[in-house]
Amino acid sequence: MKFQFDSFQQMLEMAGHGPYVWTAVLVSLVVMAWLLVRPLQLHRANLKSIARQLRREQRRRGAGEEQQ
Amino acid sequence: MASNRDWTWFYRLGSPRWFYETTGRWLPWLWTLTLVLLTAGLVWGLGYAPQDAKQGNSFRIIYLHVPVSFLALAGYYLMAIAGAIGLIWKMKLSYMVMKSAAPIGAALTFLALFTGAVWGKPTWGTYWVWDARITSMLILLFLYLGVLALQYAFHSQESGNKASAILALVGTVNIPIIYKSVDWWYTLHQPATIKLTSAPSMHIDMFQPLLLMIVALYCFYALALILFTRAEILQRERKAAWICELALQADKDSAGEAEE
Repeated sequence: MKFQFDSFQQMLEMAGHGPYVWTAVLVSLVVMAWLLVRPLQLHRANLKSIARQLRREQRRRGAGEEQQ
Repeated sequence: MASNRDWTWFYRLGSPRWFYETTGRWLPWLWTLTLVLLTAGLVWGLGYAPQDAKQGNSFRIIYLHVPVSFLALAGYYLMAIAGAIGLIWKMKLSYMVMKSAAPIGAALTFLALFTGAVWGKPTWGTYWVWDARITSMLILLFLYLGVLALQYAFHSQESGNKASAILALVGTVNIPIIYKSVDWWYTLHQPATIKLTSAPSMHIDMFQPLLLMIVALYCFYALALILFTRAEILQRERKAAWICELALQADKDSAGEAEE
C-alpha cells in the first residue's frame, strides 16, 4: 500500500478533481456529525424539561399542603 | 416452561426501559468503533487507494457515495419493518425506532444525491439528469420526509404512528425499483459495483477500503439510530417513574457541576 500523493498540496488538488472530492467529503462529514449531535441535544433538552416539570409539580404539592 | 421462555426476549425488546439501559452500555464501544472505522476508511480511500484509470481522482467519491446510498436503502427497510411490527403487535418501541429512522434516512439519501451530483460533474459533465436511478432516489427522499411529516400532522400520537407506518410500507414498492433501475433503464448511472452473486467489478486495492467504509457506515447508522431512539424514549415515556428518576439525577449532576 502506497500513499498516492507526493505532497499535501497535491492531495488537495487531486489533479483538478480536488474541489469535487473535498466538497463531497466535507458536506458528508457535516451532515453525519449533525446526525450524532442533534439526538444528543434532544436527549439533554428532554431530561431538562422533565426535571423542570417535576420540580414545578413538587412545589405546587408543597404549597397545597401548607394551605391545609 | 422452555417454550414460554423463548419468547421473553421478544417482549423485552418491546420495553423502552430495557432498550435504553442496554444500549446505554453499548454506546461507548459503538462510538469508538464508528469513529475508528470511519477515520481508517476515509484515509485509506482518499489517500492510499490507487486512482481510477478512466476517472482519475474523482472516483474517490465512491468511498462516500456507495456506503451512504447502501444505508439510505437498508434504512428504509428497517423503517418499514419497524412500522409493520408497530401495526401488528402495537409495540411502542417499534414506532419510536420507525420515527428515529426517518431523519437519518432522509439525511443519508440527501448525501447519496449530493455526492452523486458532485461526482457526476467531472465524470458525466452534469450535476443532475433525470435518470431512473437518480429519480427513484429522489422519490426515496420524499418518502422519508413524508413519514417524518406525518408524525407531526396528527393530534394523537397513535394516528401519526399508524399513518407513518402505512406510508412507509406502501413506499417499499420503490426499493426494488431503485435496485433494478440501472438494469431496466440503461441510461447514465452505471450498474452496481458490488453484487452478492459475482466478484466485484473493481480492483481489490480499491475494493477493500470500500468494504471498510460500508462496515463503518453500518456502525454509524446503528449509533445514530440508537441515539435518536433514546431521545425519543425520553420524550414519549416522560411520565414513567424510571425516567423521572433519571431526569432528577441528571439535574442534580448538572447543578453540582455548576457549583464547582
